[in-house]
Formats: sequence, C-alpha cells, structure tokens
Amino acid sequence: MTFDDWPWQYSFPPFFTVQPNLQTRKAQLSAWCDLVLKYHKANNLYVLDVREAQGSPLFCNADINRKLSLEGIAEVMSELHRRANAEPLDKGKTRWHVLWHTIDEWASILYSWADETGQTGSVCTFYEITNASDQEFSGIDQDVLLKALRKLEQAKKVEIIHMDDAKGVKFF
Amino acid sequence: MRRRAGIGAIQKQKLEQEKFKDKGTELHVREFEVLSKQLEQFRQKLEEFAAQHRAEIKRNPVFRRQFQEMCAAIGVDPLASNKGFWSVLNLGDFYYELSVQIVEVCLATSEKNGGLISLDELRTRLLRSRGRVAQEVTIEDILTASKKLGVFGSGFQVLQVPGGRTLIRSVPGELSVDVTSVLSVAPVGGGQVNQELLAQELGWTADRASAALDAVLADGLAWIDTQASPTQYWFPSLFIGCMDC
Repeated sequence: MTFDDWPWQYSFPPFFTVQPNLQTRKAQLSAWCDLVLKYHKANNLYVLDVREAQGSPLFCNADINRKLSLEGIAEVMSELHRRANAEPLDKGKTRWHVLWHTIDEWASILYSWADETGQTGSVCTFYEITNASDQEFSGIDQDVLLKALRKLEQAKKVEIIHMDDAKGVKFF
Repeated sequence: MRRRAGIGAIQKQKLEQEKFKDKGTELHVREFEVLSKQLEQFRQKLEEFAAQHRAEIKRNPVFRRQFQEMCAAIGVDPLASNKGFWSVLNLGDFYYELSVQIVEVCLATSEKNGGLISLDELRTRLLRSRGRVAQEVTIEDILTASKKLGVFGSGFQVLQVPGGRTLIRSVPGELSVDVTSVLSVAPVGGGQVNQELLAQELGWTADRASAALDAVLADGLAWIDTQASPTQYWFPSLFIGCMDC
C-alpha cells in the first residue's frame, strides 16, 4: 500500500475523534471522504471492509497513535453513500464498494472509451476491458464494472452477454 | 490734591478699553492669517512630498510605515479620507484592496479554522493570492488594514495572544474573556489545551475550565480529541500543518 498524499488533517489528532459540533463535523466528514477516495484511487482499491479498515493506515495513524472508531468509519461510509461515492454490499453495511467515480461516471467513461476506440457494434469481454492499458478503468473491479454496464444497459446503450465462462458486452 | 474720578476719566478708560479690544482683534486676525498661511504651506509641502514619493510609499513597506508613523505623529490619518489632498496618494486604495483580500482569505479558510486565523498564515495566503507582481505586504500593513475592518462592528477583531502570536477573528460575536484566555494558553500546549493545562496556567477550577472548553467547541474554534488523556482541545488555526495547506 503506497500513499503519500496525506492531508494536513491526518496528523491533526482530533481528526480521529468524531466531532460533536455539527459545523465542524461537516468539515471533518468532508475531509475524510476526500481522503478515502484518494487513498482507494491511488491504490486501485474498490472494496472496503469496515472491520479490516480499522487496522489500515487509512484510518489509523501510528505516528500520532490515533485511529478512527468503527462508528466513525461507519459515519464516513454513509456520508460517501449519500454522495454516491460508495455502495454497501451487505445488509450489515460492513463491506462497501468505494467509488471514486460514481457508477454513472464509470458508465460514461466506459461508453466514451468504446465510442472513441471504435468498439461500438462489436463485443468486448470483461477481461478485455479490465486489462485495457492506460485507462482509468484498468484493473477495475468486476462487480463495479458490471454495475456500470447495467446502468448503460438500462439506457439501451449496451447489451451484456453471458458466455460460458465469462461475460462480455456489446456496445451500440 | 487728589482729583476724584470724573466722567472724563471714565470715558477715557472706556476709550482705552475699546482700543485694546480693537488691537486684540487685529492681532487675532493677523495670527489667524499667518497660521492659515502656514497650514496652507504645510499642506502644500506634504502634498508635494506625497506626490513625489508616491511610488516609493506604495512600493517600499519600510518607507510606508515611516510615513504612517509621521502622519500619526502630526495627527492626520491618510486612510481616513479618500477625498481631498490625500487622494494623491491613493494609499487608501492600497489598504481598501488589502482589507477586501483579508476578508476573502478569512472566509475561504473559515470552514477549517472556525474563523480564527494566525497572522502568519494570513500573510502567507495573502502573498500567494496577490501574486508576485503585487507590492510587498508587511505584517504592519495587514494589521493596519485589519484594524480598519473593525469599523464594521464586532465581526472582525485582531487578538493579541501572549507569546508574540496574533490571531485575526472573522466570525460574528465577541469572544468572551475566558475564551480569549484559553486561546492565550494554546500556544503553550502546542496548539491544544486541556483542563489540566488551564488549571496550571490560569489557576482555573475544573468547572470554569470545562465551561470555557465547551464554548470553544460550540464556536467551532477547536476540535476535541477524546483519545488523549486528559481530553485535548485543538485549534486548527494554531496547528502548523493546517497553515501550510
């Protein structure tokens, strides 16, 4: 895990305590959201498990011996959810998709890529998409990709094709 | 033989008094003329001086301060009026512009520091936003401009905190005496305060300390850190990392 773009708040001890003042908490949550998205993007991570995350350097600064509580992490994740930058994967909201691009944004990124590279009318496998080089979606999580493509399917811009052992997609 | 005072003497005395009065008025008028002539001359000289050194006053912060001090010594305020002969200077404009920029910086940073900013951070940000071609701005200039903002009521205040720190507060409402005292202790604690520190530095009881600490939280000036023991209250405006970003 490499990340060196920590904001100033990360070394500010009270950043790891949920603030009681509403105005202050708003600023705090907003800084946490930015940090979580940046961190996941830098490390190309798409899934966050709240229980595991508590030990991750993201929510735990060993240098100043501070960590964000489970309740704090839950609050950050629901704020991200509100911004469409995260989606829970289970009812207990312990596993999350972290979306530094919202599903809608991913959908339009994928569609413009297909359009620009002349893929419209032909079929791509999911493998081809996730392994496209030097694209924002290189290495994208399969489930996130599926969510984005389903969005496009609803808009009748693609058709998802189920093959024997893999999935593919046809762009219109 | 002594003559008794007659009607002639009284009239003579009266005449003398009138002459004295006339002379007095004459002197008065002359004095006034001389004075107004002097004032006129002084005004002219000052105007000439200001016009001659305008560029220097605007460009050179040290010279500007000396000029300000000279004006203060003779009891005129070149900022007080943008009309009249001071307009040659356009010095008012310099400070008006600076005041507006100060307000802008304060607003832009109020979300993270609760409307409290250290003078050093304010200056750094001002210089950054003014760009390189703008005139040099000194701490004194910022203080002069900030004090002018005080006329808008209690919304803007320059706070002197012991230890050579100056803070600019841009949120409405006066800070209470106790909150100001808490701020004065924060530099001692490296940007934070707690009950023990307040007891030690100010001799406060636990009740008084916790009331003041609740107040700084409620005002959004400080952030609470419950993972420290005792609980710490941190001021972003006094936190080094917060100033550079």
